[in-house]
Amino acid sequence: MRTWYFASLFVIFLIVAGFTRSKSAVTTIRFKNMVGNKEMVLFDEMYTNSFGEPFSISKFRYYISHISFIDVNNKEINMAGNYYLVNEADSLSKIIQLPVASAIKSISFFVGVDSARSISGVQTGSLDPMNGMFWTWNSGYVFAKLEGQSDSSHAPAHGLTWDVGGFRQRENALRKITLTLNDNYTFTNNTITINADVLKWFDAVHPLKIAQSPTCHQSGKLAMQIADNYSAMFSIAP
Amino acid sequence: MRIMTIIFIFIFFVAGIAWINIDNKPTPLQFVVPAGWPQPIYDFKKNPLTKEGFELGRKLFYDERLSKDSTISCASCHQQFGGFATYDHNLSHGYNNTLTTRNAPSLQNLAWQKEFMWDGGIVHLDMQPLAPLTAVNEMGETLENVIKKISRDTSYKRMFKAAFGPVPINTQKLTMALSQFVLMLVSSNSKYDKVMRGEAEFILPEKLGYEIFNQKCSSCHKAPFFTDFSYRNTGLKLDSTLNDYGRMKITNNSKDSLKFKVPSLRNVAITAPYGHDGRFFSLQNVYENYRNKMVITDNTDSLLKHKIPLSNYETGQLTAFLRTLTDTSFLKNPMYAPPGYEVTPFFIHYH
Repeated sequence: MRTWYFASLFVIFLIVAGFTRSKSAVTTIRFKNMVGNKEMVLFDEMYTNSFGEPFSISKFRYYISHISFIDVNNKEINMAGNYYLVNEADSLSKIIQLPVASAIKSISFFVGVDSARSISGVQTGSLDPMNGMFWTWNSGYVFAKLEGQSDSSHAPAHGLTWDVGGFRQRENALRKITLTLNDNYTFTNNTITINADVLKWFDAVHPLKIAQSPTCHQSGKLAMQIADNYSAMFSIAP
Repeated sequence: MRIMTIIFIFIFFVAGIAWINIDNKPTPLQFVVPAGWPQPIYDFKKNPLTKEGFELGRKLFYDERLSKDSTISCASCHQQFGGFATYDHNLSHGYNNTLTTRNAPSLQNLAWQKEFMWDGGIVHLDMQPLAPLTAVNEMGETLENVIKKISRDTSYKRMFKAAFGPVPINTQKLTMALSQFVLMLVSSNSKYDKVMRGEAEFILPEKLGYEIFNQKCSSCHKAPFFTDFSYRNTGLKLDSTLNDYGRMKITNNSKDSLKFKVPSLRNVAITAPYGHDGRFFSLQNVYENYRNKMVITDNTDSLLKHKIPLSNYETGQLTAFLRTLTDTSFLKNPMYAPPGYEVTPFFIHYH
Protein backbone atom coordinates (compact mmCIF):
# COMPACT_ATOMS: atom_id res chain seq x y z
CA MET A 1 0.00 0.00 0.00
CA ARG A 2 2.72 2.36 1.03
CA THR A 3 4.64 1.54 -2.15
CA TRP A 4 1.63 2.45 -4.24
CA TYR A 5 1.26 5.68 -2.40
CA PHE A 6 4.87 6.67 -3.09
CA ALA A 7 4.68 5.50 -6.68
CA SER A 8 1.63 7.65 -7.40
CA LEU A 9 3.23 10.61 -5.67
CA PHE A 10 6.26 10.16 -7.86
CA VAL A 11 4.16 9.99 -11.02
CA ILE A 12 2.30 13.15 -10.06
CA PHE A 13 5.62 14.82 -9.38
CA LEU A 14 6.88 13.81 -12.83
CA ILE A 15 3.78 15.13 -14.53
CA VAL A 16 3.95 18.43 -12.69
CA ALA A 17 7.67 18.72 -13.37
CA GLY A 18 7.07 18.01 -17.04
CA PHE A 19 4.45 20.71 -17.21
CA THR A 20 6.56 23.30 -15.47
CA ARG A 21 9.53 22.62 -17.69
CA SER A 22 7.64 22.67 -20.95
CA LYS A 23 5.99 25.90 -19.90
CA SER A 24 9.11 27.83 -19.00
CA ALA A 25 11.41 26.35 -21.65
CA VAL A 26 9.88 28.20 -24.56
CA THR A 27 10.53 31.76 -25.59
CA THR A 28 8.26 33.09 -28.29
CA ILE A 29 9.27 35.79 -30.72
CA ARG A 30 6.39 37.47 -32.42
CA PHE A 31 6.92 39.64 -35.47
CA LYS A 32 4.39 42.40 -35.96
CA ASN A 33 4.63 44.07 -39.35
CA MET A 34 3.76 47.75 -39.16
CA VAL A 35 3.33 50.78 -41.38
CA GLY A 36 4.38 53.62 -39.12
CA ASN A 37 2.36 52.96 -36.00
CA LYS A 38 -0.45 51.03 -37.70
CA GLU A 39 -0.51 47.28 -38.19
CA MET A 40 0.09 46.28 -41.81
CA VAL A 41 -2.86 45.36 -44.03
CA LEU A 42 -2.13 43.71 -47.36
CA PHE A 43 -3.82 44.84 -50.60
CA ASP A 44 -6.64 46.98 -49.26
CA GLU A 45 -4.89 49.91 -47.59
CA MET A 46 -3.07 52.79 -49.26
CA TYR A 47 -0.03 54.07 -47.41
CA THR A 48 2.29 57.03 -47.90
CA ASN A 49 6.06 57.11 -47.41
CA SER A 50 7.98 60.14 -46.16
CA PHE A 51 8.39 61.44 -49.74
CA GLY A 52 4.62 61.61 -50.08
CA GLU A 53 4.51 58.65 -52.45
CA PRO A 54 1.40 56.49 -52.13
CA PHE A 55 1.74 52.70 -52.15
CA SER A 56 -0.14 49.51 -51.38
CA ILE A 57 1.45 46.22 -50.29
CA SER A 58 0.74 42.79 -51.78
CA LYS A 59 3.71 40.82 -50.47
CA PHE A 60 5.87 41.38 -47.42
CA ARG A 61 8.31 38.62 -46.49
CA TYR A 62 11.75 38.28 -44.97
CA TYR A 63 14.11 35.57 -43.79
CA ILE A 64 15.22 35.57 -40.15
CA SER A 65 18.20 33.33 -39.38
CA HIS A 66 20.84 32.53 -36.77
CA ILE A 67 18.90 33.92 -33.82
CA SER A 68 20.95 34.35 -30.67
CA PHE A 69 20.23 35.77 -27.22
CA ILE A 70 22.21 37.30 -24.41
CA ASP A 71 20.59 36.43 -21.12
CA VAL A 72 20.65 38.49 -17.93
CA ASN A 73 23.84 36.67 -16.82
CA ASN A 74 25.58 37.77 -20.06
CA LYS A 75 25.55 34.22 -21.35
CA GLU A 76 25.12 33.78 -25.10
CA ILE A 77 22.46 31.35 -26.25
CA ASN A 78 22.92 30.45 -29.88
CA MET A 79 20.21 29.14 -32.16
CA ALA A 80 22.44 29.01 -35.24
CA GLY A 81 21.35 26.96 -38.21
CA ASN A 82 17.67 27.87 -38.04
CA TYR A 83 15.98 29.76 -40.86
CA TYR A 84 12.51 31.27 -40.65
CA LEU A 85 10.51 32.89 -43.40
CA VAL A 86 8.28 35.59 -41.94
CA ASN A 87 5.41 36.14 -44.34
CA GLU A 88 2.74 38.78 -43.67
CA ALA A 89 0.18 36.64 -45.51
CA ASP A 90 0.75 33.69 -43.16
CA SER A 91 0.06 34.54 -39.53
CA LEU A 92 1.70 31.38 -38.16
CA SER A 93 4.97 32.32 -39.85
CA LYS A 94 5.15 35.43 -37.67
CA ILE A 95 5.50 33.41 -34.49
CA ILE A 96 8.84 31.73 -33.74
CA GLN A 97 9.10 29.48 -30.71
CA LEU A 98 12.51 28.64 -29.31
CA PRO A 99 13.60 26.35 -26.48
CA VAL A 100 15.08 29.11 -24.36
CA ALA A 101 14.33 29.33 -20.64
CA SER A 102 16.49 32.12 -19.25
CA ALA A 103 15.56 35.76 -18.93
CA ILE A 104 16.73 37.62 -22.03
CA LYS A 105 18.67 40.88 -22.17
CA SER A 106 19.13 41.19 -25.89
CA ILE A 107 18.39 39.35 -29.11
CA SER A 108 20.30 39.22 -32.41
CA PHE A 109 19.49 37.72 -35.76
CA PHE A 110 20.33 38.00 -39.42
CA VAL A 111 17.95 39.14 -42.12
CA GLY A 112 18.72 36.82 -44.99
CA VAL A 113 20.53 33.57 -45.71
CA ASP A 114 24.28 33.15 -45.28
CA SER A 115 26.52 32.37 -48.23
CA ALA A 116 27.44 28.88 -47.01
CA ARG A 117 23.81 27.83 -47.07
CA SER A 118 23.14 29.64 -50.33
CA ILE A 119 25.61 27.53 -52.30
CA SER A 120 25.16 24.08 -50.79
CA GLY A 121 22.45 22.60 -52.94
CA VAL A 122 18.67 22.66 -52.80
CA GLN A 123 17.27 23.10 -49.29
CA THR A 124 14.00 22.06 -47.66
CA GLY A 125 11.46 23.59 -45.28
CA SER A 126 11.51 27.37 -45.04
CA LEU A 127 14.41 27.42 -47.51
CA ASP A 128 12.65 25.31 -50.17
CA PRO A 129 12.98 27.29 -53.43
CA MET A 130 9.27 26.58 -53.83
CA ASN A 131 8.56 29.39 -51.35
CA GLY A 132 9.25 31.90 -54.10
CA MET A 133 12.21 33.46 -52.31
CA PHE A 134 14.93 32.10 -54.61
CA TRP A 135 16.59 33.44 -57.75
CA THR A 136 17.04 30.48 -60.05
CA TRP A 137 19.08 32.15 -62.83
CA ASN A 138 21.66 33.63 -60.46
CA SER A 139 21.64 31.26 -57.52
CA GLY A 140 20.71 32.87 -54.26
CA TYR A 141 17.91 33.65 -51.89
CA VAL A 142 15.73 36.71 -51.90
CA PHE A 143 16.36 37.85 -48.33
CA ALA A 144 13.42 40.21 -48.10
CA LYS A 145 10.58 41.16 -50.38
CA LEU A 146 8.30 44.19 -50.50
CA GLU A 147 5.88 44.13 -53.41
CA GLY A 148 2.88 46.25 -54.20
CA GLN A 149 1.68 49.09 -56.39
CA SER A 150 2.29 52.80 -56.43
CA ASP A 151 1.10 55.64 -58.62
CA SER A 152 4.61 57.04 -58.31
CA SER A 153 6.05 53.96 -60.02
CA HIS A 154 6.86 54.12 -63.73
CA ALA A 155 7.42 50.35 -63.88
CA PRO A 156 4.90 48.17 -65.76
CA ALA A 157 1.52 48.04 -63.98
CA HIS A 158 2.83 50.72 -61.56
CA GLY A 159 4.63 47.94 -59.77
CA LEU A 160 6.73 48.41 -56.68
CA THR A 161 8.86 45.25 -56.52
CA TRP A 162 11.78 45.31 -54.16
CA ASP A 163 13.31 41.83 -53.98
CA VAL A 164 16.51 42.12 -52.00
CA GLY A 165 19.29 39.56 -51.83
CA GLY A 166 22.96 38.94 -52.58
CA PHE A 167 25.50 36.86 -50.69
CA ARG A 168 28.63 37.44 -52.74
CA GLN A 169 31.42 39.76 -51.72
CA ARG A 170 30.88 43.41 -52.62
CA GLU A 171 27.16 42.83 -52.90
CA ASN A 172 26.38 41.18 -49.61
CA ALA A 173 22.92 42.17 -48.42
CA LEU A 174 23.01 40.01 -45.28
CA ARG A 175 22.43 42.24 -42.25
CA LYS A 176 22.78 41.53 -38.55
CA ILE A 177 20.23 43.06 -36.21
CA THR A 178 20.70 43.41 -32.46
CA LEU A 179 17.88 44.59 -30.23
CA THR A 180 18.26 45.26 -26.53
CA LEU A 181 15.39 44.88 -24.11
CA ASN A 182 14.70 47.60 -21.58
CA ASP A 183 15.69 46.78 -18.00
CA ASN A 184 12.06 46.93 -16.98
CA TYR A 185 10.77 44.99 -20.00
CA THR A 186 7.90 42.83 -18.90
CA PHE A 187 7.46 39.50 -20.61
CA THR A 188 3.92 38.38 -21.21
CA ASN A 189 3.87 34.61 -21.60
CA ASN A 190 7.60 34.64 -22.35
CA THR A 191 6.91 36.47 -25.57
CA ILE A 192 9.04 39.16 -27.15
CA THR A 193 7.19 41.15 -29.78
CA ILE A 194 9.28 42.74 -32.49
CA ASN A 195 7.79 45.44 -34.65
CA ALA A 196 8.92 45.71 -38.26
CA ASP A 197 8.07 49.08 -39.79
CA VAL A 198 7.95 48.99 -43.60
CA LEU A 199 8.25 52.80 -43.85
CA LYS A 200 11.93 52.44 -42.86
CA TRP A 201 12.60 50.66 -46.20
CA PHE A 202 12.38 54.01 -47.95
CA ASP A 203 14.42 56.37 -45.82
CA ALA A 204 16.16 54.91 -42.73
CA VAL A 205 19.69 55.34 -44.14
CA HIS A 206 19.46 56.04 -47.87
CA PRO A 207 16.56 58.04 -49.31
CA LEU A 208 15.02 55.68 -51.89
CA LYS A 209 12.08 57.03 -53.84
CA ILE A 210 9.65 54.73 -55.61
CA ALA A 211 9.66 57.18 -58.52
CA GLN A 212 13.39 56.63 -59.01
CA SER A 213 13.79 52.94 -58.20
CA PRO A 214 10.52 51.04 -58.36
CA THR A 215 12.24 47.75 -59.19
CA CYS A 216 14.95 45.72 -57.52
CA HIS A 217 15.29 42.22 -58.93
CA GLN A 218 18.94 41.40 -58.38
CA SER A 219 21.79 41.78 -55.96
CA GLY A 220 23.97 44.89 -56.16
CA LYS A 221 24.04 48.49 -54.99
CA LEU A 222 20.30 49.12 -54.79
CA ALA A 223 19.71 45.83 -52.98
CA MET A 224 22.40 46.69 -50.43
CA GLN A 225 20.91 50.15 -49.88
CA ILE A 226 17.44 48.73 -49.30
CA ALA A 227 19.01 46.19 -46.91
CA ASP A 228 20.70 49.03 -45.00
CA ASN A 229 17.33 50.71 -44.74
CA TYR A 230 15.29 47.74 -43.64
CA SER A 231 17.82 46.69 -41.05
CA ALA A 232 16.57 49.72 -39.12
CA MET A 233 12.93 48.62 -39.27
CA PHE A 234 13.03 46.32 -36.25
CA SER A 235 12.27 47.44 -32.72
CA ILE A 236 11.10 45.76 -29.53
CA ALA A 237 7.42 46.49 -29.11
CA PRO A 238 6.80 48.43 -25.89
CA MET B 1 10.36 -30.80 -31.51
CA ARG B 2 10.02 -27.56 -29.61
CA ILE B 3 13.59 -26.61 -30.42
CA MET B 4 12.93 -27.23 -34.10
CA THR B 5 9.92 -24.93 -33.99
CA ILE B 6 11.93 -22.21 -32.33
CA ILE B 7 14.73 -22.59 -34.86
CA PHE B 8 12.24 -22.43 -37.72
CA ILE B 9 10.59 -19.34 -36.35
CA PHE B 10 14.00 -17.75 -35.91
CA ILE B 11 15.01 -18.54 -39.48
CA PHE B 12 11.75 -17.12 -40.81
CA PHE B 13 12.30 -14.02 -38.70
CA VAL B 14 15.83 -13.49 -40.03
CA ALA B 15 14.70 -14.10 -43.59
CA GLY B 16 11.87 -11.64 -43.06
CA ILE B 17 14.22 -8.94 -41.79
CA ALA B 18 16.59 -9.53 -44.68
CA TRP B 19 13.65 -9.18 -47.05
CA ILE B 20 12.63 -5.87 -45.49
CA ASN B 21 16.18 -4.62 -45.75
CA ILE B 22 16.55 -5.66 -49.38
CA ASP B 23 13.26 -4.01 -50.10
CA ASN B 24 14.20 -0.69 -48.53
CA LYS B 25 17.82 -0.09 -49.39
CA PRO B 26 18.52 1.34 -52.83
CA THR B 27 21.30 -0.31 -54.82
CA PRO B 28 24.47 1.79 -54.91
CA LEU B 29 25.61 2.91 -58.34
CA GLN B 30 29.31 3.33 -58.88
CA PHE B 31 30.66 6.54 -60.36
CA VAL B 32 33.82 5.76 -62.28
CA VAL B 33 36.44 8.49 -62.57
CA PRO B 34 38.23 7.91 -65.90
CA ALA B 35 41.94 7.14 -65.54
CA GLY B 36 44.04 10.28 -65.23
CA TRP B 37 41.10 12.59 -64.59
CA PRO B 38 40.90 14.76 -61.47
CA GLN B 39 38.50 13.99 -58.63
CA PRO B 40 34.96 15.29 -59.22
CA ILE B 41 33.76 18.51 -57.59
CA TYR B 42 30.23 17.25 -56.93
CA ASP B 43 29.80 16.02 -53.35
CA PHE B 44 28.51 12.47 -53.82
CA LYS B 45 28.37 11.98 -50.05
CA LYS B 46 25.43 14.34 -49.83
CA ASN B 47 23.65 12.62 -52.71
CA PRO B 48 24.90 9.04 -53.04
CA LEU B 49 24.24 7.60 -56.48
CA THR B 50 21.86 4.68 -56.56
CA LYS B 51 20.28 2.68 -59.35
CA GLU B 52 16.84 3.76 -58.14
CA GLY B 53 17.84 7.44 -57.93
CA PHE B 54 19.36 7.31 -61.41
CA GLU B 55 16.26 5.65 -62.91
CA LEU B 56 14.03 8.22 -61.21
CA GLY B 57 16.20 11.04 -62.55
CA ARG B 58 16.05 9.51 -66.00
CA LYS B 59 12.25 9.37 -65.92
CA LEU B 60 12.07 12.99 -64.72
CA PHE B 61 14.56 14.11 -67.38
CA TYR B 62 12.35 12.73 -70.14
CA ASP B 63 8.99 13.71 -68.60
CA GLU B 64 7.19 16.46 -70.49
CA ARG B 65 4.63 16.80 -67.73
CA LEU B 66 7.17 18.80 -65.75
CA SER B 67 6.41 21.74 -68.07
CA LYS B 68 3.32 23.93 -67.82
CA ASP B 69 1.48 22.44 -70.79
CA SER B 70 3.17 19.03 -70.85
CA THR B 71 5.05 19.67 -74.08
CA ILE B 72 8.64 20.22 -72.96
CA SER B 73 10.97 18.00 -71.00
CA CYS B 74 14.63 18.50 -70.12
CA ALA B 75 15.36 16.18 -73.03
CA SER B 76 13.56 18.49 -75.48
CA CYS B 77 16.63 20.73 -75.48
CA HIS B 78 19.18 18.19 -74.26
CA GLN B 79 18.99 15.39 -76.80
CA GLN B 80 21.20 12.36 -76.50
CA PHE B 81 21.91 12.16 -80.23
CA GLY B 82 22.96 15.83 -80.11
CA GLY B 83 25.41 15.29 -77.26
CA PHE B 84 22.65 16.42 -74.88
CA ALA B 85 22.57 19.80 -76.61
CA THR B 86 19.83 20.73 -79.11
CA TYR B 87 20.26 19.44 -82.62
CA ASP B 88 19.86 22.27 -85.15
CA HIS B 89 18.37 25.00 -82.91
CA ASN B 90 20.37 28.17 -82.33
CA LEU B 91 18.15 29.31 -79.45
CA SER B 92 16.14 26.92 -77.31
CA HIS B 93 12.39 26.78 -77.84
CA GLY B 94 10.20 27.25 -74.78
CA TYR B 95 6.62 27.02 -73.60
CA ASN B 96 3.94 28.71 -75.72
CA ASN B 97 6.03 29.69 -78.77
CA THR B 98 8.74 31.41 -76.79
CA LEU B 99 12.46 31.49 -77.46
CA THR B 100 15.23 31.62 -74.94
CA THR B 101 18.23 33.89 -75.41
CA ARG B 102 20.80 31.09 -75.40
CA ASN B 103 21.93 27.93 -77.12
CA ALA B 104 21.43 24.84 -74.94
CA PRO B 105 24.83 23.61 -73.78
CA SER B 106 25.76 19.94 -74.08
CA LEU B 107 25.50 17.96 -70.86
CA GLN B 108 28.47 15.76 -70.08
CA ASN B 109 31.09 15.45 -67.35
CA LEU B 110 29.00 17.67 -65.07
CA ALA B 111 30.47 16.18 -61.89
CA TRP B 112 33.60 18.25 -62.58
CA GLN B 113 31.76 21.56 -63.09
CA LYS B 114 31.48 24.11 -60.32
CA GLU B 115 29.23 26.64 -62.04
CA PHE B 116 26.53 26.23 -64.64
CA MET B 117 24.96 28.17 -67.52
CA TRP B 118 26.89 30.24 -70.07
CA ASP B 119 27.33 32.94 -67.41
CA GLY B 120 28.03 30.65 -64.44
CA GLY B 121 25.08 32.10 -62.54
CA ILE B 122 24.09 28.80 -60.98
CA VAL B 123 26.51 27.54 -58.37
CA HIS B 124 25.36 23.99 -57.64
CA LEU B 125 24.31 21.19 -59.98
CA ASP B 126 21.22 20.43 -57.88
CA MET B 127 20.03 24.04 -58.28
CA GLN B 128 20.38 23.98 -62.06
CA PRO B 129 16.99 22.43 -62.98
CA LEU B 130 15.11 25.11 -61.02
CA ALA B 131 15.91 27.68 -63.73
CA PRO B 132 14.56 25.86 -66.84
CA LEU B 133 11.60 24.45 -64.90
CA THR B 134 10.35 27.89 -63.85
CA ALA B 135 11.52 30.25 -66.62
CA VAL B 136 8.50 31.53 -68.58
CA ASN B 137 10.37 31.02 -71.86
CA GLU B 138 11.43 27.47 -71.02
CA MET B 139 9.18 24.99 -69.19
CA GLY B 140 7.09 27.77 -67.62
CA GLU B 141 5.88 25.80 -64.61
CA THR B 142 5.91 26.60 -60.90
CA LEU B 143 7.76 24.34 -58.48
CA GLU B 144 4.52 23.88 -56.49
CA ASN B 145 2.78 22.46 -59.55
CA VAL B 146 5.71 20.23 -60.48
CA ILE B 147 5.72 18.71 -56.99
CA LYS B 148 1.92 18.43 -57.03
CA LYS B 149 1.89 16.59 -60.36
CA ILE B 150 4.63 14.21 -59.30
CA SER B 151 3.11 13.54 -55.88
CA ARG B 152 -0.17 12.43 -57.46
CA ASP B 153 1.48 9.94 -59.80
CA THR B 154 1.64 6.43 -58.35
CA SER B 155 4.70 5.33 -60.30
CA TYR B 156 6.60 8.42 -59.13
CA LYS B 157 5.48 7.77 -55.55
CA ARG B 158 6.91 4.27 -55.80
CA MET B 159 10.14 5.43 -57.44
CA PHE B 160 10.77 8.27 -54.97
CA LYS B 161 10.24 5.84 -52.11
CA ALA B 162 12.62 3.34 -53.68
CA ALA B 163 15.29 5.99 -54.20
CA PHE B 164 15.01 8.08 -51.05
CA GLY B 165 12.87 6.08 -48.62
CA PRO B 166 9.53 7.07 -47.11
CA VAL B 167 10.14 10.82 -47.05
CA PRO B 168 7.96 13.53 -48.61
CA ILE B 169 8.53 14.31 -52.28
CA ASN B 170 9.97 17.82 -52.36
CA THR B 171 12.08 20.15 -54.47
CA GLN B 172 15.29 18.85 -52.91
CA LYS B 173 14.63 15.18 -53.71
CA LEU B 174 13.43 16.08 -57.21
CA THR B 175 16.62 17.94 -58.02
CA MET B 176 18.84 15.33 -56.37
CA ALA B 177 17.30 12.64 -58.58
CA LEU B 178 17.85 14.76 -61.70
CA SER B 179 21.46 15.28 -60.62
CA GLN B 180 21.94 11.54 -60.25
CA PHE B 181 20.95 11.04 -63.88
CA VAL B 182 23.00 13.85 -65.39
CA LEU B 183 26.05 13.07 -63.23
CA MET B 184 26.26 9.67 -64.94
CA LEU B 185 26.55 11.38 -68.35
CA VAL B 186 30.30 10.87 -68.58
CA SER B 187 31.89 11.13 -72.01
CA SER B 188 35.42 9.74 -71.92
CA ASN B 189 35.58 7.18 -74.69
CA SER B 190 36.07 9.12 -77.92
CA LYS B 191 38.74 8.23 -80.45
CA TYR B 192 40.89 10.95 -78.82
CA ASP B 193 40.60 9.15 -75.46
CA LYS B 194 41.46 5.83 -77.08
CA VAL B 195 44.53 7.36 -78.68
CA MET B 196 45.59 8.79 -75.33
CA ARG B 197 45.13 5.37 -73.74
CA GLY B 198 47.19 3.79 -76.50
CA GLU B 199 44.25 1.81 -77.89
CA ALA B 200 44.05 3.60 -81.24
CA GLU B 201 46.09 5.88 -83.49
CA PHE B 202 45.34 9.20 -85.15
CA ILE B 203 45.37 9.21 -88.93
CA LEU B 204 47.60 11.91 -90.43
CA PRO B 205 45.08 14.80 -90.66
CA GLU B 206 43.91 14.13 -87.09
CA LYS B 207 47.49 14.12 -85.85
CA LEU B 208 48.27 17.39 -87.62
CA GLY B 209 45.03 18.87 -86.30
CA TYR B 210 45.97 17.80 -82.76
CA GLU B 211 49.27 19.69 -83.08
CA ILE B 212 47.51 22.83 -84.30
CA PHE B 213 44.95 22.47 -81.52
CA ASN B 214 47.68 22.28 -78.88
CA GLN B 215 49.32 25.38 -80.31
CA LYS B 216 46.27 27.58 -80.81
CA CYS B 217 43.25 26.32 -78.86
CA SER B 218 44.19 24.23 -75.86
CA SER B 219 45.02 27.03 -73.42
CA CYS B 220 41.28 27.62 -73.05
CA HIS B 221 39.89 24.31 -74.32
CA LYS B 222 42.00 22.29 -71.93
CA ALA B 223 42.04 18.47 -71.86
CA PRO B 224 40.55 16.29 -70.49
CA PHE B 225 37.35 18.41 -70.39
CA PHE B 226 38.33 20.56 -73.37
CA THR B 227 37.42 23.63 -71.34
CA ASP B 228 39.16 25.35 -68.43
CA PHE B 229 35.70 26.40 -67.15
CA SER B 230 36.71 30.08 -67.31
CA TYR B 231 34.68 32.99 -68.72
CA ARG B 232 36.17 34.84 -71.66
CA ASN B 233 35.31 37.57 -74.11
CA THR B 234 35.98 36.17 -77.57
CA GLY B 235 35.09 39.32 -79.48
CA LEU B 236 31.46 38.44 -80.15
CA LYS B 237 29.39 41.51 -80.96
CA LEU B 238 26.35 42.19 -78.79
CA ASP B 239 23.10 41.14 -80.43
CA SER B 240 20.71 44.04 -79.89
CA THR B 241 17.64 41.79 -79.68
CA LEU B 242 19.15 39.54 -77.02
CA ASN B 243 21.15 42.15 -75.07
CA ASP B 244 23.07 39.35 -73.43
CA TYR B 245 26.13 40.64 -71.60
CA GLY B 246 26.94 37.21 -70.19
CA ARG B 247 29.00 37.01 -67.03
CA MET B 248 28.53 40.72 -66.28
CA LYS B 249 24.88 40.09 -65.45
CA ILE B 250 25.99 37.81 -62.64
CA THR B 251 28.95 39.75 -61.24
CA ASN B 252 27.76 43.33 -61.94
CA ASN B 253 31.37 43.97 -62.97
CA SER B 254 31.91 45.78 -66.26
CA LYS B 255 35.15 43.86 -66.78
CA ASP B 256 33.00 40.77 -67.30
CA SER B 257 31.05 42.35 -70.16
CA LEU B 258 30.36 39.84 -72.95
CA LYS B 259 32.26 37.09 -71.22
CA PHE B 260 30.85 33.60 -71.60
CA LYS B 261 31.94 30.22 -70.33
CA VAL B 262 34.46 28.37 -72.49
CA PRO B 263 32.36 25.48 -73.81
CA SER B 264 33.66 21.92 -73.75
CA LEU B 265 34.58 20.61 -77.18
CA ARG B 266 33.72 17.00 -76.42
CA ASN B 267 31.28 15.78 -79.11
CA VAL B 268 31.66 19.20 -80.73
CA ALA B 269 31.22 17.84 -84.26
CA ILE B 270 27.57 17.03 -83.55
CA THR B 271 26.56 19.92 -81.26
CA ALA B 272 26.12 22.67 -83.86
CA PRO B 273 25.02 25.46 -83.77
CA TYR B 274 27.83 27.01 -81.69
CA GLY B 275 28.32 30.00 -79.41
CA HIS B 276 26.24 31.15 -76.44
CA ASP B 277 23.48 32.29 -78.79
CA GLY B 278 24.05 29.67 -81.46
CA ARG B 279 25.17 32.27 -84.00
CA PHE B 280 27.64 29.93 -85.69
CA PHE B 281 26.09 27.12 -87.69
CA SER B 282 29.27 25.26 -88.55
CA LEU B 283 32.82 24.83 -87.31
CA GLN B 284 33.87 26.82 -90.36
CA ASN B 285 31.82 29.79 -89.06
CA VAL B 286 33.66 29.51 -85.74
CA TYR B 287 37.12 29.45 -87.37
CA GLU B 288 36.09 32.45 -89.48
CA ASN B 289 35.23 34.38 -86.33
CA TYR B 290 38.56 33.65 -84.67
CA ARG B 291 40.74 34.36 -87.68
CA ASN B 292 38.82 37.26 -89.14
CA LYS B 293 35.45 38.53 -87.94
CA MET B 294 35.90 38.92 -84.20
CA VAL B 295 35.82 42.48 -82.81
CA ILE B 296 38.78 43.37 -80.60
CA THR B 297 37.88 45.66 -77.70
CA ASP B 298 39.45 46.43 -74.32
CA ASN B 299 37.53 43.52 -72.85
CA THR B 300 38.65 40.98 -75.43
CA ASP B 301 40.58 38.11 -73.90
CA SER B 302 44.33 38.76 -73.79
CA LEU B 303 45.00 35.51 -75.67
CA LEU B 304 42.87 36.74 -78.56
CA LYS B 305 44.12 40.32 -78.96
CA HIS B 306 45.63 39.37 -82.31
CA LYS B 307 42.85 36.95 -83.26
CA ILE B 308 43.90 33.39 -84.14
CA PRO B 309 45.71 33.03 -87.44
CA LEU B 310 44.38 29.91 -89.18
CA SER B 311 44.98 28.92 -92.80
CA ASN B 312 42.33 27.07 -94.80
CA TYR B 313 44.63 24.09 -94.67
CA GLU B 314 44.81 24.27 -90.87
CA THR B 315 41.03 24.52 -90.42
CA GLY B 316 40.70 21.24 -92.31
CA GLN B 317 43.20 19.49 -90.03
CA LEU B 318 41.53 21.02 -86.95
CA THR B 319 38.15 19.69 -88.06
CA ALA B 320 39.67 16.25 -88.51
CA PHE B 321 41.00 16.40 -84.95
CA LEU B 322 37.76 17.79 -83.43
CA ARG B 323 35.87 14.87 -84.96
CA THR B 324 37.98 12.51 -82.86
CA LEU B 325 36.21 14.00 -79.81
CA THR B 326 32.93 12.41 -80.88
CA ASP B 327 32.10 9.66 -78.41
CA THR B 328 29.60 7.29 -80.01
CA SER B 329 29.51 4.98 -77.00
CA PHE B 330 28.18 8.01 -75.09
CA LEU B 331 25.79 9.18 -77.79
CA LYS B 332 24.31 5.69 -78.17
CA ASN B 333 24.49 4.46 -74.58
CA PRO B 334 21.07 2.83 -73.98
CA MET B 335 21.38 3.72 -70.28
CA TYR B 336 20.81 7.39 -71.17
CA ALA B 337 17.87 6.79 -73.52
CA PRO B 338 14.26 7.49 -72.41
CA PRO B 339 12.96 4.87 -69.94
CA GLY B 340 11.84 1.81 -71.86
CA TYR B 341 13.87 2.62 -74.98
CA GLU B 342 17.32 1.74 -76.25
CA VAL B 343 17.56 4.87 -78.39
CA THR B 344 15.53 8.06 -78.41
CA PRO B 345 12.48 7.37 -80.62
CA PHE B 346 11.77 9.93 -83.33
CA PHE B 347 8.47 11.10 -81.83
CA ILE B 348 10.04 12.28 -78.56
CA HIS B 349 11.29 15.54 -80.06
CA TYR B 350 8.96 17.71 -82.07
CA HIS B 351 10.05 21.20 -81.09
